[in-house]
Parts: sequence; structure tokens; C-alpha cells
Amino acid sequence: MNEDDRPRFAWGFLVRRGLAVLAGAVFLYAGSTKVTDPLHFASDISNYQIVSWSIGVRLAFYLPWLEILCGLALIFHRLFTGAVVITSALMLVFIGVTVAAKARGIDVACGCFGSVSSSLTLTWHLVLNGCILAALVILWLTRDRAPVVSRFPAVR
Amino acid sequence: MRAILIRQVLWLVGLAFLPAIGQALYYRGDAAWQQPPTDAAQVSVAQARSWDAAVLWIDARPDEQFTTAHVPGAIQLNEDAWDKLLPKVLAAWSTERKVIVYCSRQTCNLSHEVAERLRKEDGLKNVYVLQGGWEEWQKSGQ
Repeated sequence: MNEDDRPRFAWGFLVRRGLAVLAGAVFLYAGSTKVTDPLHFASDISNYQIVSWSIGVRLAFYLPWLEILCGLALIFHRLFTGAVVITSALMLVFIGVTVAAKARGIDVACGCFGSVSSSLTLTWHLVLNGCILAALVILWLTRDRAPVVSRFPAVR
Repeated sequence: MRAILIRQVLWLVGLAFLPAIGQALYYRGDAAWQQPPTDAAQVSVAQARSWDAAVLWIDARPDEQFTTAHVPGAIQLNEDAWDKLLPKVLAAWSTERKVIVYCSRQTCNLSHEVAERLRKEDGLKNVYVLQGGWEEWQKSGQ
């Protein structure tokens, strides 16, 4: 077997799966911490002063489940592209409202990971969310790549 | 491709409604559906003033707001620099003193977060949140 006939290890595939599992785990964790205390999360949403309490409390019941489902979809590669789009949109919205709240002088507590996140500063939350968004963008841009390790010889 | 994407998004968005509706039904009797839950350990500005010197004021706002102005004698404690600021608070605290935490206004929740941490992590008693926060304090004439 010469060099060209050997199966090639798909590093790209491994990196993409790693990113998907990592991003999925973050959303799964974020959703799980909030789903146990929706009224506390409603309070965090309300603090951004963008939506009324009644809308905020409804979002607080819905968004954690959406995060959990999208997290699972990213990890198990089911409904994958849809999950990438939804989680990217959630990230963009979150970063946007956080920056807007800061600009308006509102001292928000993020609430991204429920009460677990209370020891993280807002800057760190933004850095974390920026990294997750970057991972999601990479997953979106490489979504059409072969999802399995190539066992065929490379054709040159 | 676009049709598949839209279908996947709709599936996820729709599926998330099922457990959310179930959980919402479980909480349907909760008064918090109509209005935010109130913290039992809140005090008004008038009540806080009546306690006078027995109060240890904690300012939970960000650095720049604390530097601009704060309640006389207040010590800063926020989550950005918790470990650095906490020793000063603990040094000033005693069991006889009531702790009142405030942030910018009624709708901010940094004061609630700080008060909760002081109660749970540091075991402080008599920790209150100032109703209306700094905004209400200023309105009251100081």
C-alpha cells in the first residue's frame, strides 16, 4: 500500500464534531440550569427592560427547553442545521441585548446559566458567547462537508 | 436545502413548546405569572433611614457608578470583583448591624444577587434589598 492508498484520518471531521459537541453541551447545560427555576430566569429577562413581565415569564418557560433541544440536536447530529441556525440566532440576540443594556446603563445580571453564572462577570459572559458564536459560524460554513471518515484512497 | 433548513427549524421550535407548555401548566397557579415575585427581605428608603447607624450599606452597582456617587458610608461589593471586595464588607459587618444592598433602580437585580450570595455563601443574617435602589434614594432627598 503506497502513501496515497492509505485511509486518511479526517481531522476536519473530528474538529467539527468536537465543536458541535462542545457547543451542544454548553446549550444543554445552560438550558438545564434555567429550566429548574423559570421564575428566576423570568426575573433576569425582565431586568433587561425590553419585554414586559408577562412576555418575559412566557419566554422563561420556553427558551430553556429550546436550548436543551438544540443542544441535544448539536450533540447527536439530528436536525443539525436547524439547531445551528437557532442557536446562532439566540447568541446574536443575547449579545445584542446585553450590549444594549450596558449602553443604557442597566446593570444586568446575565442569567445565561441560571444562578450558576452569578460569579461570572458580564465581560466573561460576552467572551464565552463570542466563542460559542464563532464555533457555530464554523459549523454553519462547513455544514456540507462529508460527515464520515473517508476510507477511500485519495484521488490526485 | 432551504426547505430542509426551514423544516428543521420548525421541528425544533415546535418540539420545544411541548415540555414548555407542560411546565407552564404545572406553574399555572403561581402568582408570579401576573407580576414579579417580591423579595420578602426588601426595605423602603424610609424604613432604612429609621435604622440609621445600625445599617451597613452595600453598593452592588458597577465601579463607575459607585465612584460617581453612593449612599454615605456604603461599601462597594459587586460580582465583578467579589473576592477582592468581600473582606472589607466582612470586616465592617457585625451581628447587630443590618445589611442593606442596593443597585441602580427597582428593576435591577444585582442587589438581589449580592444579597442572596451574602446570605447563602457567607451566612450573613439580616440582609435586605433597598426598594427602588439608588434612584429611590436620590428621590428621597440625599
